[in-house]
Amino acid sequence: MTAATMTDSPAIFTPRSEYKLSGIGLLRSEWTKFWSLRSSWIVLLCAAVFAAGIGLAVAATYSNVGDQGSIPADLRAEAALGTTMFGVALSSMFVAVLGVLAITGEYSTGSIRSTMSAAPKRLSVLWAKAAVFGAVVIVMYTAMVFVTFFAANALLSGTDLAGVSLGDENVVRALFGYVAMVAYLGLLGLGIGAILRNSAGSIGFYVGVIMILPNLATLLPWNWVSDVVPYTPGNVVNSIAYIDTSGLDLSYGESWLWMGIWLLVTYGLAAFMLKRRDV
Amino acid sequence: MIEIEHLTKRYGKKTAVNDLTFTVKPGAVTGFLGPNGAGKSTTMRTIMGLDAPTAGIARVNGKHYSDFRAPLTEVGALLEAKSVHSGRSAYKHLLALAHTHGIPKRRVREVLDTVGLTEVAGKRVGGFSLGMGQRLGIAVALLGDPAVLILDEPVNGLDPDGVRWIRELLKGLAAEGRTVFLSSHLMSELAQTAEHLIVIGQGKLLADTTVDAFVNSRGASVRVVSPESAKLAETLQGPGITVTSPESGVLLIEGTEAAVVGEAAAAHGVVLHELRAEHASLEDVFMEITAGTVEYHQSQEGVAAK
Ligand SMILES: Nc1ncnc2c1ncn2[C@@H]1O[C@H](COP(=O)(O)OP(=O)(O)O)[C@@H](O)[C@H]1O
Ligand SMILES: [Mg+2]
Repeated sequence: MTAATMTDSPAIFTPRSEYKLSGIGLLRSEWTKFWSLRSSWIVLLCAAVFAAGIGLAVAATYSNVGDQGSIPADLRAEAALGTTMFGVALSSMFVAVLGVLAITGEYSTGSIRSTMSAAPKRLSVLWAKAAVFGAVVIVMYTAMVFVTFFAANALLSGTDLAGVSLGDENVVRALFGYVAMVAYLGLLGLGIGAILRNSAGSIGFYVGVIMILPNLATLLPWNWVSDVVPYTPGNVVNSIAYIDTSGLDLSYGESWLWMGIWLLVTYGLAAFMLKRRDV
Repeated sequence: MIEIEHLTKRYGKKTAVNDLTFTVKPGAVTGFLGPNGAGKSTTMRTIMGLDAPTAGIARVNGKHYSDFRAPLTEVGALLEAKSVHSGRSAYKHLLALAHTHGIPKRRVREVLDTVGLTEVAGKRVGGFSLGMGQRLGIAVALLGDPAVLILDEPVNGLDPDGVRWIRELLKGLAAEGRTVFLSSHLMSELAQTAEHLIVIGQGKLLADTTVDAFVNSRGASVRVVSPESAKLAETLQGPGITVTSPESGVLLIEGTEAAVVGEAAAAHGVVLHELRAEHASLEDVFMEITAGTVEYHQSQEGVAAK
């Protein structure tokens, strides 16, 4: 190129250097996205209120089986939590669906193209989305579980389930177990949504294949099926919300281990697909 | 600068882009022209790293788009009107994207202002008209103050005012030394905006040229209105010259220049009411060059259906 043609063409524009893509930036972005969709935080709030409401309703209508103090302390705590936290497991369905929609909503509306144009390496978007969603669920459910615990305790006073305290063995562990259960199932939903990309398909898969199928399978006449079912992704959470796990299929530690394994499998596959497939 | 080298993209058996090679230079508006289904959107998605090429390379300023540390400052794209969650407000959509790069709120308000959406910034995008959606898409593209702009059919859905606005905007951006690449399936939309033109059909490159050269490549003609048109037609007969009469009193002369026709008329004392040099309309040229590549011919489809 000659000097003349160089000077004829306008100076080439240089982009600003003060803007940079960052992990913190992606977290802030996903945080903004979560709270700027009315549907997402309303559903989450409803799920928590629903869970608390069921627990409190059951506690309020609980009729005495025996006298106060008639049940040994450890069994009493188990029974009290089982009663008042009954709604938490039910409400996990909302949270899982919300997890699915957090990612499939981007595909169905096309906003995924904006998202991935801003972060073209893609994977960091998945991590940021899961981190923000998981954190919001954990904070909201922790608050809900403890408020429900104290409120239900007050409602149960005078019954044989009264008097459970946070200081009792494994009570705090079990309460956080409920929180972890919901967060795990919500993240599982998000991972499934990231793999399948389609809202109806992902919700159908979660409900049908993760939640219902393994438990139907126990009806099959083969013993090995019943041995395997406790290790399926929807069932491995079952031990973490108990005070005494001695009679259960999985120990407390095994429950955590398998939750980790299934999240790793789900997110590994999701990451692989996200890298490989066209947006 | 956008460099496309031997780019091929197949979706299953369907070849959307077929061994495409071209370069888009900074400092000018480059039009990307082709009938629907030609592969324009696919090419643009490939540049943005959203679709992986089956073969070939798409680079921006020498790099793959995904290798940039601040992608939004390198390339701003309007890919399709629908790249926004309908439940979110325009402001929050822009803000979420801005956060990824640490772009301040001030810049978000600035681009909203540029595209004229300030008043509706807090409204949910689901209720936006097609034109408002396009304006939001343009705001997204401008957000990182990028060196390269890629706009897929940006004029779609804009009213005449909006069309004029975007023309001036894009010319201004190009004048600042940015690369501006915009697609359309209508030549008329590009004619007044673009200087350079990339024409594709069925995924293949048909022309890579300036708009002027593209138009001139299909010979000029002279239009004459005269009460003595028959007499003039006779005097103009010659090798390489064709004279047709689309309506009585009007002549279209190809193969010569307006000056020659005027002199011939004067020499023979023919009265002229009108004498005008005409370029083939861009649409004509475009139709001619892409005639073989349009996916669906309406007439054929009609016959085939019976
Ligand atoms: N994701 C896709 N899957 C399958 N076919 C596609 C996909 N995207 C585009 N095509 C096909 O590729 C061709 C080119 O499409 P496109 O790039 O959208 O053209 P244009 O933008 O020029 O109208 C069309 O025949 C279209 O049907
Ligand atoms: Mg298109």
